[in-house]
Amino acid sequence: MTVFATVIGALNVGFLQTLKLFAVTLLGAIPLGLVISFGSMSRFSPLRYLTKLVVWVIRGTPLMLQLIIMFYIPGYFLPGGSPWPGGESGRFLASSIAFIINYSCYFSEIYRGGIQGIPVGQQEAGQVLGMTKRQIFFKVTLLQMIKRIIPPMSNEIITLVKDTSIARIIALQELIWAGYAFLKGSHGYSGLIWPLFFTGIYYLIFNGVLTLFFGWVERKLDYFR
Amino acid sequence: MSILEVQHIEKHFGATQVLTDISFSLEKGQALSIIGSSGSGKTTLLRCLNFLEKPNRGTIAVNGEVLFDAADPATQIEGEIRKKRLHFGLVFQNFNLFPQYTALQNVTLARELLAKERGGETREAIQEAGRALLAQMGLADRADHYPHQLSGGQQQRVAIARALALQPDILCFDEPTSALDPELTGEVLRVIRSLAEKRTTMIIVTHEMAFARDVADQVIFMDGGVIVEQGDPRQVIDHPREERTRRFLAHYAEK
Repeated sequence: MTVFATVIGALNVGFLQTLKLFAVTLLGAIPLGLVISFGSMSRFSPLRYLTKLVVWVIRGTPLMLQLIIMFYIPGYFLPGGSPWPGGESGRFLASSIAFIINYSCYFSEIYRGGIQGIPVGQQEAGQVLGMTKRQIFFKVTLLQMIKRIIPPMSNEIITLVKDTSIARIIALQELIWAGYAFLKGSHGYSGLIWPLFFTGIYYLIFNGVLTLFFGWVERKLDYFR
Repeated sequence: MSILEVQHIEKHFGATQVLTDISFSLEKGQALSIIGSSGSGKTTLLRCLNFLEKPNRGTIAVNGEVLFDAADPATQIEGEIRKKRLHFGLVFQNFNLFPQYTALQNVTLARELLAKERGGETREAIQEAGRALLAQMGLADRADHYPHQLSGGQQQRVAIARALALQPDILCFDEPTSALDPELTGEVLRVIRSLAEKRTTMIIVTHEMAFARDVADQVIFMDGGVIVEQGDPRQVIDHPREERTRRFLAHYAEK
């Protein structure tokens, strides 16, 4: 096999791990963020303050630190040792949870802004028409909120694509790890610099696709104001 | 028996007293106009009737049934209030149409949700009724337009159709023309006038004195959260008894 084919093969494996972490984080953080945003808007003040405290801590500390704590610290305290399965699957699970918690806190603030930006008259109009709170949220508020949050969400999601590389700190074998391996020595090659640069192209293309996607969604929601 | 009986309503926000001892009644098929300067409590009163605000004192009864009694928590259960709201319709100053729905969808949404819950009407029947209402508002050709594609006057007429779709006992208007350019108020007032001719029971908070006098069967003048004067429109607006009413109306005469 040529060097190129070998490198691309290895990078693809790394990119797949990147893509998995990206997808799992979104699947978890998009709904969890909504729950957290409701907590931060709760009329029950202890819940509101608790939520705001959690969001402050998670947004106020590095994701890298959160990953290290998530992966290494439980093992020191739990009687059975580390709760994570051995090998790559354990690292992936720990990364997923840390990423979901971290990103849901950012998303929750975006949602809150989106919900609070909708005129209160929309809610009242639903109320006087005899709609339930649930109906008002799903039939009236939700789509208006989605339209408002698309630009900040696309920003955050594009950042997530690149942030997945931070999971390398607990040795998750994602894209940059795969590229860097050829510098250190792997697959019988060492001292190869170009695979590392090549990983950048993966990120660029993937984020290009996402940018096109969000542009499409924005156009789809252009029919109302 | 009056269709609406409001007794001793009081409302304060913190230390600010907004409504004091408001009592009035309304007969079926009649139109009541509420006039008064900004901050006199007119809008708060309408919001109390629609259960958007909770009065601190007093009772609200429709068709003899006490819907709200500040002294009786049993009348204030959240799930029940939702049903009670359906006795009233409310047309807002700022229309508050749902921007992501067409004019027709705005009119039919709530009724379709109710039908889904309770059974009864088919979707087709509701759509047909919605189109008929829009036609009645002179908007038959605007059914598939989104709110942002409509003028303010057209939006407000859609909002009136939306409120009528649920067939409320009493239709409330909160300054329905105040957010409109002057040249667009006429089309909305004409629609309300036609509703009055059909003997729709209505409460209209308005700054349009001539309109209030022509359309209403009864006028209430409010100032500082109390009813200062109430009675026949020609009497209240043309020959007010109270000094405060006279002063308020003099401002309008100057304009």
